[in-house]
Amino acid sequence: MEPDSPAIQTKDLTKRFGAFTAVDQVNFEVRRGEVFGLLGPNGAGKTTIVRMLTTLIVPSGGHAFVAGFDVARYPRQVRENIGVIPQALTSDLDLTGWENVDIYGEFFGLSRRERRERGHRLLHMVGLTERANDLVATYSGGMRRRLEIARGLIHSPDVLFLDEPTIGLDPQSRRAVWDLLETLRKESEITISLTTHYMDEAESLCDRIAIVDGGKIIALDTPVGLKSMVPGADRIDLVVEKNPTAIAEMLKPMPYLREVNLDGGNRLQLSSNDGARAIPKILEAIDAAGDHVTSITVQKLSLEDVFIHFTGRTLRDEPAKKVSLFVGAGMPQQR
Amino acid sequence: MFGLKFLAIMRRDLKKLSRNPITLVSVILMPIVYLVIIGNSFQGQLKHLPIVVVEQDHGLYARRIVEQLLALQAGPKTVDVTFENDPGSAVDEVRDGLYKGVVVIPPDFSHDVAEGRIAQIGLFTDNVDSISSQTLEGVLDQAAATVRVAFVTAREPKLNDISLRPGWLFPYVDYDRSLIPGVIVMAIFMGSLMSGVFNWVMDKFMGVTECYLVTPLSRWDIAGGILASGVTVTSIGGILVLFLGLMITRGKILGGPMALLMLIGIIVISSAGLLAMTFSMLGRAGHPRLVGTFSGFLNVILFFPSGAIYPVESFPPWLRAFAHFNPETHSVSAIKQILFKGADFSAVSGDIAFLLIFMVLMLILASVSFKRTL
Repeated sequence: MEPDSPAIQTKDLTKRFGAFTAVDQVNFEVRRGEVFGLLGPNGAGKTTIVRMLTTLIVPSGGHAFVAGFDVARYPRQVRENIGVIPQALTSDLDLTGWENVDIYGEFFGLSRRERRERGHRLLHMVGLTERANDLVATYSGGMRRRLEIARGLIHSPDVLFLDEPTIGLDPQSRRAVWDLLETLRKESEITISLTTHYMDEAESLCDRIAIVDGGKIIALDTPVGLKSMVPGADRIDLVVEKNPTAIAEMLKPMPYLREVNLDGGNRLQLSSNDGARAIPKILEAIDAAGDHVTSITVQKLSLEDVFIHFTGRTLRDEPAKKVSLFVGAGMPQQR
Repeated sequence: MFGLKFLAIMRRDLKKLSRNPITLVSVILMPIVYLVIIGNSFQGQLKHLPIVVVEQDHGLYARRIVEQLLALQAGPKTVDVTFENDPGSAVDEVRDGLYKGVVVIPPDFSHDVAEGRIAQIGLFTDNVDSISSQTLEGVLDQAAATVRVAFVTAREPKLNDISLRPGWLFPYVDYDRSLIPGVIVMAIFMGSLMSGVFNWVMDKFMGVTECYLVTPLSRWDIAGGILASGVTVTSIGGILVLFLGLMITRGKILGGPMALLMLIGIIVISSAGLLAMTFSMLGRAGHPRLVGTFSGFLNVILFFPSGAIYPVESFPPWLRAFAHFNPETHSVSAIKQILFKGADFSAVSGDIAFLLIFMVLMLILASVSFKRTL
């Protein structure tokens, strides 16, 4: 991979299943060393994007380059340079933790010595040295996920794809996976593509986030940049002592404020593009008007609000799953 | 590119199977239990058993025996009668598997009957096929009985002494032992299914497959690894069933080490062919339940028409035609001939050729149908 070339690049990337377009002319670039998040509800098309990028399915149109290689023309070279942690727990239950890592290294043509050195170092990194020789069937979900991260790194890939890495894990295990990814980010130059529908996960781990919905990228920026795209990003609730109606009329023309509403009693609800700058001006103006503020709270905009702003729905909305007769009811078709 | 990475898949599968001995145990035990139960409860009337009649007497009573055989051919169709003159060549044709038995009516048969002496009819059967052999003995007893009833003479008591002197061309094979080839083939079928396509579909269902589709493993590495581990496990299962079957029935392999090598070769070829066939048919299924459902169906349509339990000759023409293209028929036939008759390579070369061609065709079909992507 060229030093200045993007780790991942898509150009009008499209995937159709029959008449249904799951991914529709998607364009984005991921810089080397970046943690890039694909955020969207189930069925948005993010898993399909990742599956095209990891050569699991062939694009219907457009191009995608990973580690400098076209995924359609050079899938083997792409596979040699990526590590993939799929959404499902895919470690072999009938093998030990060590065997899972060791055999996976063999798939990449690593020598026995390389496998031993890297494997033990990675198992130590994910905190599984003590349990390395136990069957994976005895592991918890969090331990399996950590093992799979170690397995996905055995060949020192340039790009690591994680598809919903903390789904189904308890809060403690989620935190352990996050810490692991933070460590990776600090200690290596690996590029990480993270697919998630957890807002907090995307916000705390990702340098940039693409919001995916209906097979399209509808917004792409840093978490802070995404929030600033939403007008009235900060919400200010305040209660005044005497005359809320007069105060509301007085505040409406003030800079930084987008909306001023009465919220019953002496309560006012304001929205501001920059709450930190607006509050001193507001307090000053109310004092000057001879009134007093008895309470004030500022609520910063969350990614959930950003998502609702762009899509008009929450991340928890899930479309009905499509089920193929041949595949069977237990195997939902993922987009 | 087909490299040595397939060994990693093979190592992985063998480790997994070794940690699930119940799979191997079920592959070995279930066919034996299944066959013993089905085999013992299987009832039916044999038809179209090909026999040769060498009629050297041409006397009154000999003609009556022949008429009875022809009546059985025209009526219940138990036998298909062919006439020949040379008893020696007729016996050789039974050895070669062309006929199920030879009926030899000696020159003085009618004279001995008329004189009240003990008259004998020779019956030489392919006793490896015990059901056919017993049926033919019954047919001849029936024919002889009509002579006893129709011709009452002053020396009547002697007529009841018309007896059959069976001549076995091969060592005695009892019913239980005759099931061994079928047991082996069923173990091969179950083993190839459990260690091959079932494992693959289960891994796919659990999402495990996805993690090696994103590695540089080629389709040949993946398919080769699954095939190698599947054939290894299945062949070990088949060979264990062979020895277990012989131990239970106190039998032995006629023909010594060479015959054993041929048997192992047939087991390996059959395993590879059946594994590739089930893989090409069910490899794309997304749920192991589908493999379970289809495997029961496949087992019925391959196993029962294979001659493992009942002779192929008893089938209606369409089923006999199907049986000729059924790989399990050829596996059962080859194992039966080597195991019980001590047949050499030339005697089973036709079956082995069929199994080899079938294996190659199925491997090509499996590789074409195998998808490297999800």
